[in-house]
Amino acid sequence: MPCLCSQSGVAKSVFDFSEDVGWNLQGLRLKVSGYKDIIYICPFNGALKGKVFITNYRLYFKSDGDHVVVLDVPLGAISRVEKMGGASSRGENSYGLDITCKDMRNLRFALKQEGHSRRDIFEILFRYAFPLSHGLQLFAFLSQEKFEENGWHVYKPMEEFRRQGLPTEKWRISFLNEDYKLCDTYPTILVVPFKATEDDLQKVATFRSRCRIPVLSWIHKDNQAVIVRCSQPLVGMSGKRNKDDERYLELIREANSTPKLTIFDARPNVNAVANKATGGGYEGDDAYQNAELVFLDIHNIHVMRESLKKLKDIVYPNVEEAHWLSSLESTHWLEHIKLVLSGAIQVADKVSSGSSVVVHCSDGWDRTAQLTSLAMLMLDSHYRTLRGFQVLLEKEWISFGHKFASRIGHGDKNHADQDRSPIFLQFIDCVWQMTKQFPTAFEFNERLLMVILDHLFSCRFGTFLYNCESVRDSNHLRLKTVSLWSLVNSDTSSYINPFYTEESSRVLYPVASMRHLELWVTYYIRWNPRIRQQQQSPVEQRYRELLALRDQYLKKLQELQLSDSSPSAHLSNSSASSAFLCHAAHHAPAHALLIHQHTHTHTHTHTHTHTHTHSLAHSHVRLQMFMYIR
Amino acid sequence: MVGEEEKRGEIVVNEVNFVRKCIGVDSSQDDLWGKLICTNFKVSFVTHNSLPQQNFRYVHRLLGEHDVPLACVEQVVTVNDAKGKQKVLGSNQKLKFNPTELILYCKDLRILRFRFDQAGPEGAKKVCLAIAHYSQPADPQLLFGFEYAGSRYYNSSGERVNGVDPGGGQQTALFDRPSDWDREIKRTGASEWRVCSVNEGYVVSPSLPEYFVVPASLADQDLKQYACSFTGQRIPLWCWNHPNGSALVRMSSISDPQQQRKLDQRICTAITKSHPQRSDVLKSDLDKQLPNIQEVQAALLKLRQACVIEPFEESEEKWLSSLEASRWMDYVRAFLKHAVEVVYSLEGKHTSVILLEEEDRDLSCVVACLVQLMLDPHCRSLLGFQALVQKEWVMAGHRFLDRCNHLKKNDKEESPLFLLFLDCVWQLLNQYPSAFEFSETYLTVLSDSMWVPVFSTFLFNCPKQRADYSRDFARSRSIPLGDQALRFPPVWDWSQQFSPKDQTLFNNPLYVGKSATCVQNGAVKSFKRTKKSYSSTLRGLPPALRNGQLLSEVDTLPRRNSLVLRLRPELGGGAREPCESPCERFMRERFSRPAEPQGTLLPQLLPSHLALWRLYFLRWVPEARIPRGGPPAAYHKLSLLVDEIHTLQSRLRNYSSGPHNATSSPSALTSTPSSRRPPPVPAPAPAPAPSPILALVPAPKPPQRPQSLSQPDQQQQHQGRMYFRVSSLALPGSGSGSGSGSGTPDYLSSSFPFSPVGNLCRRGLLGTPLSKLLSGARIWLSTETLANETL
Repeated sequence: MPCLCSQSGVAKSVFDFSEDVGWNLQGLRLKVSGYKDIIYICPFNGALKGKVFITNYRLYFKSDGDHVVVLDVPLGAISRVEKMGGASSRGENSYGLDITCKDMRNLRFALKQEGHSRRDIFEILFRYAFPLSHGLQLFAFLSQEKFEENGWHVYKPMEEFRRQGLPTEKWRISFLNEDYKLCDTYPTILVVPFKATEDDLQKVATFRSRCRIPVLSWIHKDNQAVIVRCSQPLVGMSGKRNKDDERYLELIREANSTPKLTIFDARPNVNAVANKATGGGYEGDDAYQNAELVFLDIHNIHVMRESLKKLKDIVYPNVEEAHWLSSLESTHWLEHIKLVLSGAIQVADKVSSGSSVVVHCSDGWDRTAQLTSLAMLMLDSHYRTLRGFQVLLEKEWISFGHKFASRIGHGDKNHADQDRSPIFLQFIDCVWQMTKQFPTAFEFNERLLMVILDHLFSCRFGTFLYNCESVRDSNHLRLKTVSLWSLVNSDTSSYINPFYTEESSRVLYPVASMRHLELWVTYYIRWNPRIRQQQQSPVEQRYRELLALRDQYLKKLQELQLSDSSPSAHLSNSSASSAFLCHAAHHAPAHALLIHQHTHTHTHTHTHTHTHTHSLAHSHVRLQMFMYIR
Repeated sequence: MVGEEEKRGEIVVNEVNFVRKCIGVDSSQDDLWGKLICTNFKVSFVTHNSLPQQNFRYVHRLLGEHDVPLACVEQVVTVNDAKGKQKVLGSNQKLKFNPTELILYCKDLRILRFRFDQAGPEGAKKVCLAIAHYSQPADPQLLFGFEYAGSRYYNSSGERVNGVDPGGGQQTALFDRPSDWDREIKRTGASEWRVCSVNEGYVVSPSLPEYFVVPASLADQDLKQYACSFTGQRIPLWCWNHPNGSALVRMSSISDPQQQRKLDQRICTAITKSHPQRSDVLKSDLDKQLPNIQEVQAALLKLRQACVIEPFEESEEKWLSSLEASRWMDYVRAFLKHAVEVVYSLEGKHTSVILLEEEDRDLSCVVACLVQLMLDPHCRSLLGFQALVQKEWVMAGHRFLDRCNHLKKNDKEESPLFLLFLDCVWQLLNQYPSAFEFSETYLTVLSDSMWVPVFSTFLFNCPKQRADYSRDFARSRSIPLGDQALRFPPVWDWSQQFSPKDQTLFNNPLYVGKSATCVQNGAVKSFKRTKKSYSSTLRGLPPALRNGQLLSEVDTLPRRNSLVLRLRPELGGGAREPCESPCERFMRERFSRPAEPQGTLLPQLLPSHLALWRLYFLRWVPEARIPRGGPPAAYHKLSLLVDEIHTLQSRLRNYSSGPHNATSSPSALTSTPSSRRPPPVPAPAPAPAPSPILALVPAPKPPQRPQSLSQPDQQQQHQGRMYFRVSSLALPGSGSGSGSGSGTPDYLSSSFPFSPVGNLCRRGLLGTPLSKLLSGARIWLSTETLANETL
């Protein structure tokens, strides 16, 4: 089965396998190993005999016979390869390979016991699925794909801060971390209270786990309330205090005269207490008198990993039928989603009511990233656009050091690594829940979320590689790899939600209730052939059809008006229709109206792409039409 | 009481003033003050205050904003805080205390609460007793529908009262006359079947309609003879023919054991004879495979408990398992699954199917309808659907009177089978959003209409009962008998309840219809086309699909002699043997092809792919409301686009009908002739006045229907098919006008067009548990517990 990218035809020219030839990836020679007479034990169709090809990017299976079954798995999606059966194993198909994937599926291949074919396949797979464990490079460094747009330019921290209206009188931009000397898991550019000196920052860093000091993530344009993120304070068993840290938080509070600073500790209360034993902890009442501490009860990475494991058990290969709902409940997956979402709602609610907040968990790179980015998605409509969402991910997740490499285990054979956890998947799931509740509020569609998740694992792009910016820099990631946003932004129309309606000032509060949370079946249950696989949601598809129909009518009307325009008798009529046409165009997403190029108002970067700034597009169309009518 | 209400036969029974309706907000500050009235039709609350947070409501023509029809009242609970007493009131009961509050549990899942702190104690008590008494009428003729129909007769001399509109309702085939059946036979190409009239005057079977369809090879004489051996003298009924000739038939059990084999054989032979390939008949025993009516009722009670009675927050944790424990979703799935199996027999195996049920009046109605909805696109149009319900429920003698328990006589007979059916339809609609002409609002409103007891559709157990009751009532009121005497409107006459504007909420903007072909005897044709396109889609899949898994794993079926059958995976605990029934395989084959709204619809039956019908079950729950979100947000956007398309269509029609018409059209007249050319800069919007162009919207229904284009119908000028209209928005005034105008309106929510404001669930709108408001009576028991309490 192909990864989504090839399914959607996005990179067809590059990644399409036309039969068994042309295994070229833009000039890069791939190592190909082909094997015949391999049996894929499909959990749905039974055993299928066919050929297997392994490159340094993918595992490809094609069954023999008329009814072709194809599997197309990026090696990056493989978390574990095991041999099953031994030379003496009896029984048909009991000898082969068992492959566990990160994307909710398992694959089994049966091989012949004679010869050494298994050893071969196993070794090749093992080597290329886990290149880092073998001293090899990740595929992203080998790929030489070219796209129209360079996705590495999507996020420019200064530009994003400027968009937010920063710096202000109360908040300044600090370059103290330029060489990652203050904090090696933070980005280079930080926004801190104006009154805090560089020296203060250094001192605060000593009191925060891994030096992840409180820094600004987002500021509310009107009320100047801020979202600040950090790691836990190093309170420890003895209940240490740090005057600098206390004063620093006071500065944050004072910046917009918030009466009481709210500190959201993402963890359950007991976990926060338990962290004292390892030197961590939380802000005590005595030390931080102008602050109130709220625990959000979100569990740690281990709990989330186990929850997803349970979920996989009930959806793959077969959906648990007899007690579906209670089984789903017992995975607690949706309950965790609910807690994350409702935590973010509380953050957003505080901020929009004018109070500044500080968000942290233990290290401030998992739950904290979930909470700040979701709250920002609720508060700031810019992040709900296709590009804004990319900025959000680049900023809150990638630049602030969510440990993608550890959480996903890119290229690493250690499948049982306790550091792995689906925190980012959980976040994307939360975003999906929001798009379900507000079908017109997001410019991007479900497909974007799926593509992001597919390439979270695939290692085809550099976007999600490594744990933090300092390591990315030292590996020259942005020079040597391609960004996922290059792929996405070179084909934006595939990822646009046709229902999108720009509502700039709206704060979006999803209902974080089990009544509304749903399992994202199109993602979690997508490998099941008993389910109709749809390219896009039927509603979206129909809407696009209707848009096309509307445009067709518009065009026809224009033609009629053109042919009609000379006799003065009908001028009044056509002027009236032009008003209507403009009106119609007003509602049309730009892509449907064949508009040329527009600069996106928010990003000052690329003028050569198809973007969708509605206001600009409208006036443009309107002008065009008047020209037409004349 | 206003004159309008008296005109339709409504009388005030009792009323009390200074009543407070609890809105359920934190404090009582949003509560409304007004008069609580009990009439012979409804419980009415008349207030001059307006609800907070609400600036939209669809207007019901028979019911005010705060009204509940008596037939919708499930349980009347009176409470006295001071004494800590409460009592569930039945008909003709006494109340030993003065109620301080009244709680009404409604069948549409609403819960209303009134407080009498400032009201006269005696008056309050009287109203409570009246509500309890009149909501449980002892006699069917006390149901308001009779007064309503009677008043219609009396008032029919003058202008039309009650807004009777000859349009809507009468286009729906009611199947009370042979011609409707004839048309259905022709439409489905059932040439070997005939309309039979042995039951004229209901002489053979009391529960069958006067006219129905039987195999052409069976003579009237035989049928009469067979009838006595069937339960309820019900001769097997033809439902529908598949284009391949297979028939769907429903049959009650054979009560005479001696006749059983012989009769069974005769019926089967006759059905076989009516099949063009003379293929076999399959009998599907519904009683054995589906839940019975009591189980369905129990499921709804549990589901209701979970949805609206349990405290919202506390029940969150166990929400999914309580959904499961109700078994409602299981039952929805069971009926859909059963229907799919029947579909497989009819379409995949080309066999005729007999649906067997003891009485043939309950489960068969659901299954017969679902099968037709899946196979016949005509049934997915609005009129087609209404005709279907008319045919398989009303005419086939589903005991609506008993199942709705309008008379509160026998709780064991009560069962929400029709609601279950609507839920099944909703699941289909949810999975195939462009296959139905109607919206989920339509389905919801249809289910609510069961509790407005004026429609012939839901008032009776069978056509004969309707005839008998009408006759008796007419006699008692000296209304001359005859065809026109006492006509209950069918629910399909939607103008009884809603304005034409509000009725547009029923239209599904996503619908991909072929209404034109279906109206004329074209259904068979369109079927063939559908079948052809199946095979063509297989041959000519678009390349985008080829590339993906659609063609890969999904499309591969184990074929005979293929590798698959030879290779038996026997890995310990590993790959499961794919054990697939032929029906499952049939489904999988279908799922491997792109869905076609006009083709056969097979629902996805995995429990993970069935959803709770949130609009129906959660619309009254304030905490579950998503402001400016949920499916209505997309519906709004879609409606605007479709309306725009209709407008463009009519513009184009104007053009094609020639320049003369164009100039004489209203648009040309209203626009200013002086402005010879449009200004070069962005349009000066014809600002507050409605755009001349947009005023011209005779969007015909269906749009394809040929009609004389030169005469824009004045009547239709201000009607579109969509509830949300482009014209209702301001035109872009300046070039910088962003999408603000097309934004989601504030009043939209996931509950739209309903509003939970004013409905009381356990907790207040802002999260205060209701128990805090209930000062004296701390115990707030569930309806079930309350019902068992004797005081």
